Amino acid sequence: MEQVNPTRMEMIRKRAQIKLAEQGRDLLREKMDALIQEFFRIMESVSDSRERLERIADSAYRSLLIAQAVDDPVTLKSASFATKRHIALDIRGKNVMGVPVPIIERERFSLTVMDRGYSPIGVSGRIDEATEKFESEIDLIIALAETETALRRLGEEIQMNRRRVNALEQVLIPELKRQAKYIKITIEEREREDLYRLKKVKRILQKKRSAQPAE
Amino acid sequence: MDYGYINARIRGMHSRLFDRKAYDALIIRQDIPSIITELEKTPYKKEIEEANILYSGITAIEYALRKNLVNTYRKILGLVQGELAEKYIVIFLNRWDVQNIKTILRGKKIHASQDEIKECLIPAGELDEATLNELLKQPDVRAVVDLLATWEQPYALPLTDYIDEYSENRDLVILEYALDKYYYQKALEAAKGKSTEEKIVRRLIRREIDANNIKSVIRIINDNVDWDDAKNLFLEGGLRIDLERFEKMIESGNLESALKYLDGTPYYFLSYLPPEALASGRISVFEKELDSYIISNNTGTFRLDPLSIGVIIGYIWAKYSEIINIRIIARCKHAGVSDEDLEAELIHV
Repeated sequence: MEQVNPTRMEMIRKRAQIKLAEQGRDLLREKMDALIQEFFRIMESVSDSRERLERIADSAYRSLLIAQAVDDPVTLKSASFATKRHIALDIRGKNVMGVPVPIIERERFSLTVMDRGYSPIGVSGRIDEATEKFESEIDLIIALAETETALRRLGEEIQMNRRRVNALEQVLIPELKRQAKYIKITIEEREREDLYRLKKVKRILQKKRSAQPAE
Repeated sequence: MDYGYINARIRGMHSRLFDRKAYDALIIRQDIPSIITELEKTPYKKEIEEANILYSGITAIEYALRKNLVNTYRKILGLVQGELAEKYIVIFLNRWDVQNIKTILRGKKIHASQDEIKECLIPAGELDEATLNELLKQPDVRAVVDLLATWEQPYALPLTDYIDEYSENRDLVILEYALDKYYYQKALEAAKGKSTEEKIVRRLIRREIDANNIKSVIRIINDNVDWDDAKNLFLEGGLRIDLERFEKMIESGNLESALKYLDGTPYYFLSYLPPEALASGRISVFEKELDSYIISNNTGTFRLDPLSIGVIIGYIWAKYSEIINIRIIARCKHAGVSDEDLEAELIHV
């Protein structure tokens, strides 16, 4: 146990510390509840999006396979030269219960047949279909990047909060209570000693007084 | 012109095309090495052996198929060289030239390396490998167009007309549209006469233009493209789809109503596809039906007059569909697609 001064002042300080620690624990618990609620809300949408992503990815790879099989991979590569471009993303942040989460601003990546950079007359619809599905996949991946990052950060914050609550609940508050109890016991012990000492002194004095001859 | 000798040679080549039994022999193979072994027993032997030295697996098969296509088309060009038929055969092979020029322009626009662009070229048309290599050495899009113009290549005409517009917008679609439209315009021009040959060729081209216009309509409706942009995709010269029908189909707003406009045309079968195909709006479903129709019609010319251009054209298309089917089998086996699904993807077997 930490060295503590068993004084009344220390006792008052420890009690104040216990009260503060318990308030902190309750606040952290409330925050954790709110974070968990938010976490599950986002997780629901993430798992929906994940399933959708898997479905789109399967379908995109199937379309790619057919396009490669029918149109030859070199024709696909040629079309890909025309569609090569960068994805511009604007990433900002927002606060969810004090947790910074990203907001990814993007224009829809999916394009129409007129904007893909090649003449649709010479490129088969199979290639277009594969392109379209991969564009949708990219859109979904970007959306997922936003929600999954938010989810990860919320998860980390929940874990950190839980560690804090546990530390308060299982280490700090019991320790403070032990210290307060120790101070209380020590003070009471000291009071009893003082009382006993006073009684003893009183008895000695009484004895002395009764032993003295009456004047 | 005497088609006797040429058509006899072509019929000989046609007899070596894959029949149902040959496809089945490929389909029952479980993996790529055994498909390669099977192909070594076919007329693809020479190209497969060459490809096996350079590549392995599916890449080797695809390389061999491309090489075989190029060799076959070059052989046909050699057979008809100097004959009247050359003019018509060139029309069908020119699509590879258009594709190759587009690939070079696309590659040059994004500054892809020469090797990277070269990988994507299929010198099955009039522009041979040496010519394409020279084009590849050019530093940018304008230099490619200038070189084509210097060589007085016909494709330089539409490109020089639109190169300034391209320079302003940096949008390659302008040049690609020009090339596509020029290709069909040139093809119709070459086959505008009244001879039986020209009638056969013209009919095939016009049918292909129709198919392209129908495919464009489906894409335009799926993507809700404005009429102002959409009309750029219209190809003139089709058999049954003129600008008026094209516009009506687009303005109908949905696929089901648009396809109703095909009733009474040879393409009516598209509006009778299963409802789920219509509802999905998947272009590949419609495209497969249209491609099958076109390939079936074009390969059918083989059975027309045995002393006409039809035999050669029929063979060119039959060879093309054979190569597509072998590639489908190889790719599907590579990806572990079931035999049932693989069979469904085959085109006009």
